[in-house]
Amino acid sequence: MVAVQSRLDRLVRPTFGRHLLFALGAAVVLLLLSSQIGAYDDYNLTAVAIFAVAAAGLNLLTGLNGQLSLGHGALMAIGAYTASLLLKDHHQFPVIVVLLAAVLSTGVIGIGFGYAAARLRGPYLAGATLTLAVAIPQVATRYKSIFGGESGLTVAPSSPPDWLGADFPPERWLAWIAFAAAIVTMVLLANLLRGAPGRAFKAVRDNEAAAALAGINVARTQVLAFVVSAACAGLAGALLAYWTGVTAPAGFTLALSLQLITAIVIGGLGSLAGAVWGSLVLVFVPLLTSGMASRLSLPSSVADNLPLAIYGCILVIAMLVAPHGIQGALRRILAYGRARWGNTPGGGQKGVVDWDDPAPDT
Amino acid sequence: MLEVIDLTVAYGPVVALHAVSLTVPDGSMTAVLGANGAGKTTLVRTISGLTRPRGGSVRLDGRDITRLAPEEIARLGVAHVPQGQGVLAELTVDENLRLGGLWRRDPKGQRGALAEAYDLFPPLANRRHVAAFSLSGGERQMLSLGRALVARARVLLLDEPSLGLARLVLVQIMARLRTLVTERGLTVLLIEQNAKSALSVADEGIVLHLGKVVARGRAQQLLGEERLRHAYLGF
Amino acid sequence: MSRFFVLTLNGVTQGAIYAAMALALVMIWRATKVINFAQGAMAMFTTYLAVFAIEHGTPYWVGFLVALVSGLLLGAIVERVIVRPVESAPALNVVILTLGLLLFLEALAPMAFGGQIRSFPPAFSIVGLRLGTSQVPFSPFDLFTLGSVVAVMLLLLVLFQKTDLGLRMRASAFNPEVSRLLGIRVGRMLTLGWALASLVGALAGVLIAPSLLLYPTFMDDVLVFGFTGAVLGGLDSAVGAVVGGLLMGFALTYVGGYFGSDLETVGALVILIAVLMVRPSGLFSVQRVRQV
Repeated sequence: MVAVQSRLDRLVRPTFGRHLLFALGAAVVLLLLSSQIGAYDDYNLTAVAIFAVAAAGLNLLTGLNGQLSLGHGALMAIGAYTASLLLKDHHQFPVIVVLLAAVLSTGVIGIGFGYAAARLRGPYLAGATLTLAVAIPQVATRYKSIFGGESGLTVAPSSPPDWLGADFPPERWLAWIAFAAAIVTMVLLANLLRGAPGRAFKAVRDNEAAAALAGINVARTQVLAFVVSAACAGLAGALLAYWTGVTAPAGFTLALSLQLITAIVIGGLGSLAGAVWGSLVLVFVPLLTSGMASRLSLPSSVADNLPLAIYGCILVIAMLVAPHGIQGALRRILAYGRARWGNTPGGGQKGVVDWDDPAPDT
Repeated sequence: MLEVIDLTVAYGPVVALHAVSLTVPDGSMTAVLGANGAGKTTLVRTISGLTRPRGGSVRLDGRDITRLAPEEIARLGVAHVPQGQGVLAELTVDENLRLGGLWRRDPKGQRGALAEAYDLFPPLANRRHVAAFSLSGGERQMLSLGRALVARARVLLLDEPSLGLARLVLVQIMARLRTLVTERGLTVLLIEQNAKSALSVADEGIVLHLGKVVARGRAQQLLGEERLRHAYLGF
Repeated sequence: MSRFFVLTLNGVTQGAIYAAMALALVMIWRATKVINFAQGAMAMFTTYLAVFAIEHGTPYWVGFLVALVSGLLLGAIVERVIVRPVESAPALNVVILTLGLLLFLEALAPMAFGGQIRSFPPAFSIVGLRLGTSQVPFSPFDLFTLGSVVAVMLLLLVLFQKTDLGLRMRASAFNPEVSRLLGIRVGRMLTLGWALASLVGALAGVLIAPSLLLYPTFMDDVLVFGFTGAVLGGLDSAVGAVVGGLLMGFALTYVGGYFGSDLETVGALVILIAVLMVRPSGLFSVQRVRQV
């Protein structure tokens, strides 16, 4: 469904209204779905929505603007700690306030780091964001009195409003919050990308010098991409705080950043829909492996690490054989179908050559 | 003897060489002429293995070398001196020269060859321990040629050696080259845009135009053909 | 004895290890224009292999050799099997590839060797040496650490500057295409380059393990410090990497000593950003920063 949508995007001139319509449709489907499934599945779908928010933001930065960030796990930590500090001591701030505060704090930090990042390229940027990913959790460990040290901060859950009834499952309520956040994020990002900023992001990614000649402020574009991306990470972090109920340094390791990268690589670099695919994989691979591990009664050291090993393999193999991810593979299959069975004479050959760099020298 | 048989090369949909054939006998020099984009550089790159052909073959003394890697072709005694960028700028002159023949694993023979190269190109001897990026265009060209000699190459593929060279230096280098061909039996394929100077030292000439051979013959004979000169060679 | 003096002595040892990590990164960067973000994870894995050997009753020295030799092999295998096919792919893809390797190795280690945190035995006493009547905070093991890093670096220097093999490796790094035209089997040189770099990384791992605990991510920090050191040195310069690594050793032991060891990575972040903002091509580099 999502793939079809993104194909349509290329054909029809996009409008805000159409995105809104799509969002409404998604909301209805998710609402119905969440009411039909049990609390456990709601819980897992919530995780999909959370990862989708973070992965969509990362994909905007990496896939569309060409800036690789290994530090999005750390940015999620900033969002999560913002939320947790607000919810410490059982303050009952409304969810919307907590989420917006997380977006704001991460966005502001994103401005600072975005300015630095805009001056860095390739391996320098990757290395700097890697350092960020490793450093931030250790700050939380160091300032124990504020951030709770290794054991972290506990988060008061958001209880469903009274009009939903007394026995409304809190998992479903959190799922609704996460769905709403994900849909709003996707609509806003989609509109941003269809407009001038989106074109600027891609222009800067493809050729900075040419973009500058075309009158695009390269540095400002890169900072904007970083700030938007960081804000998404912050939102996802705050949602994650609600989801896990505790915010601790161990939850925001480098592995989290790398999982987000896995998600966008699986889904396809540069595609919002791809972020959803990738997040589905991130949530359901561990479910599958833990099921398998308990059937085979594997030791916990194996069971716990199997998903990460799989992601690592996926990243390596994807870069070796399918650098465009699931979304790219779908696009290829569609294009192959058109080329093979389409009615343009001679189109087949051309289509086949076009998807991949023909690389005559190899 | 270097033979190119029906060589066809394409970059995606663009055909750069179309069924090109040529033969360079031992101890002779063939000039390949033509304008920019005629396919000259593609021809030498394909012979030395850097570019894979779509069809046809390259033979060295009867052996098919079409599918060999560039380093293996070099180890058969084929030295490709690429356009302009042939020297390793970060290394010294001496290191560049030594690199030419390292694969022979014959230190004694190499020392002799090195001394010979310095004899042949005295400006290099003075700058032995200088990084190659500080050399002039002419000195770089000498270095590339000298390196091919240190490698004791039997076949030399020269891609536009005249590029950026002063006329006098070019004449000197061409004269040296001619001597090596006659005295040592060196086989040379000379790619040139400067048709006149190339034909004046070569034995045979071939004119490429848009990837096809449009004329071939004795060098002296091509020099005399009015029509050809106007249409393709521009002098 | 002043705190500053103690920290400075610690800084030398730490710096030697970071210098080794920085050098490993720079060797690979120069040969293949790839930052091997899996360098730390590879060193972690070879250190696990060493501890595995030691736990099975072999002397320290066998474990030490196991780390170095497996480092050599692992580097060669990684280059041959997964880096070679993406030689001409965009830089982003190659970076993601090394990240995938990092993730895989950090998951594989606990699967293969068990999830418990381990300690790693030092080869020599870690009690400070005696000079006359006073004890200096510099142990025989510190001396061994420093000595082995210096020895490996000298060996590499001789290899690259004085031997034909080193000349071929340098040529392959500078210009692979021209090198191939000179009959150099560039592929083998790249494999060898990765193998040697990975050996240097493995050395860093096996030397720092006794002062840290052994767990799958224990080299992440060292990778970050090594990377910062390499950037300080300009990423393109082996000497710069060594100097940069040493500087990081000093800087971070001061940060750790005066502000708490949890802030060492923050210190590295600050140094890295500051250097990149002021001199993006590193403190010692004469070259302009590459646009990737």
